[in-house]
Amino acid sequence: MTGENSETRTRNIRFSAAGVYIQGVKTALASRMAYRGDFIMSMLIMMIVEFGGPVITLIIYNNGASFPGWNQYEVLLLQGIFLLSRGIAFPFFMGIVWNTIGRVREGTFDLLLIKPRSILLMTVVTGFDSEDLGKLIGGILVFRYALKNLPVQPASHWVSFLILFVFSLILMFAFALFMAGLGIVWVGNYRIYDIFMSVIDFGLYPKSIFTKTFQSILTYIIPVSLLASYPASALLGDLDQSVFMALLSSVVFLLLGFMFYFKMVRNYTSAGG
Amino acid sequence: MIHVSELKKTFTTYERGGTFREALLSLFVRKRKTVDAVKGISFDIKEGELVGFLGPNGAGKSTTIKILTGILYPTSGTVDVMGFVPWKERKKYVRNIGAVFGQKSQLLWDIPPLDSFCLNQAIYRIPENEFRKTVNDMIEMLDLADLVKKPTRQLSLGERMKCEFIMAMLHKPKIVFLDEPTIGLDVIAKGKIRDFILEQNKRGTTFILTTHDLEDVEQLAKRVIVINHGEIVFDDSIEKLKHHLGEKRTVRITTRDRINMESREGIEVRRQISDYETEVLIDLSVVKLNEFIKKVNEESKTKDMSVEGPELEQIIKKLYTI
Repeated sequence: MTGENSETRTRNIRFSAAGVYIQGVKTALASRMAYRGDFIMSMLIMMIVEFGGPVITLIIYNNGASFPGWNQYEVLLLQGIFLLSRGIAFPFFMGIVWNTIGRVREGTFDLLLIKPRSILLMTVVTGFDSEDLGKLIGGILVFRYALKNLPVQPASHWVSFLILFVFSLILMFAFALFMAGLGIVWVGNYRIYDIFMSVIDFGLYPKSIFTKTFQSILTYIIPVSLLASYPASALLGDLDQSVFMALLSSVVFLLLGFMFYFKMVRNYTSAGG
Repeated sequence: MIHVSELKKTFTTYERGGTFREALLSLFVRKRKTVDAVKGISFDIKEGELVGFLGPNGAGKSTTIKILTGILYPTSGTVDVMGFVPWKERKKYVRNIGAVFGQKSQLLWDIPPLDSFCLNQAIYRIPENEFRKTVNDMIEMLDLADLVKKPTRQLSLGERMKCEFIMAMLHKPKIVFLDEPTIGLDVIAKGKIRDFILEQNKRGTTFILTTHDLEDVEQLAKRVIVINHGEIVFDDSIEKLKHHLGEKRTVRITTRDRINMESREGIEVRRQISDYETEVLIDLSVVKLNEFIKKVNEESKTKDMSVEGPELEQIIKKLYTI
């Protein structure tokens, strides 16, 4: 009886959305590792490219300049968090954007629609991008380097940080929903991704360096500050009340993202036969 | 099993001219155009049928199939497949259907088909024992053996297509939609795929076959639906289709004396091959075949003669140009 229960439990986990996702990740990794050299090189390049922001920060501080209210290691911590957020988002779920754009253009989005799972789950499962794991490694390295050079933070700061970091990923997912939705109706437009990258790059710097008006936009309208600025402030014990508005804004952003995405799926016209 | 009533689908597209000036203008002003891809079609398909769904390019057959598979929303009309409205209950519905697209692969290029089957096992929640049994049965039926363990990119087109069939039928669907399943295959691979389809159909699976390969239609379909300009122009058995444009026979005659036949009502000279050999199309509703043979023999002394049934290609061509 216990054996049967355990078998049923294993089957339930394997066939759950998470189980399908893990199977998809395994399949994508196997697929990508068929070309070992290219796989390793791509990961390395992705990692090195991610060091661009932190290197600029080091240059600024080594030349006597600074971001007001932030020392060099605090900025590196913020940028490490930003890279961590991207490092998790890009390989694990951001792939829905180019997966959707590419499949809609080729007409293979249809193949996902004939599977008995949510279309969103199917695009995430088939959109895992192993090369972007390089971003994650880069993020971990910068984050660890900054932490080593800062005072040890109390547990309460870490809890606040982890909560805000989850919201940072939620915000990334909301962005992914908007871009994937646009990719359904705006066929073959890869520029969507460039626009997104330009917007989130504002998250690479402390929000205090921007004007008050622009800070408000980055907090309440497109809460990019939540990507790294707020989580870093939380870890350093320097959060202000505006974080609650940013959190609310990110939840609204996510809900709107879901609504927009599924509305666009309804408008899907498929490619010619 | 499938009930379609007054199904309509309208697309909005934008017109753009071919010249550079028109291309430049289209950046600012685009002319909207409404295209009625499907214009209120109705049909029913019973359980266990194998139906050929034919039509020229752009006739509306792919749009209809996409609506039936839950991919597209129709503009109006009703569809009931096994009690489901495909686009409204997509996730529950597609568990019961399978699809093979000759020009869109469900396999992953760099890994063996067996790994793709495993991904489908998780997606369709197929228990391990059932999965192993189905895969092994199908591998045997399609003569694939260890080929399913080789990376897909190393397989021939025929081998890949066989694997596509396993991929589409792992979850034992009640209805399978086939879109050009034998495109580009050699005669042996085509034969194997056709045998497989017929065997699965005997076991109760309903098939809807979209193809331009009329040999597929003749060998597989018992019923044919022809769609053109978004409307159904024919829906009946393959035998009725052959007689649709009158009972015609192609007669090829070789004679001992010279033969110089001229076209007249009921007789169309299609090819004068030589002075002693000709090919004519006879409409049996006008000319009696035995009288025709007798007359030719009297006039030119028949040496050899062959009578062939109506050519499906000719009939389909005429239906497409209606």
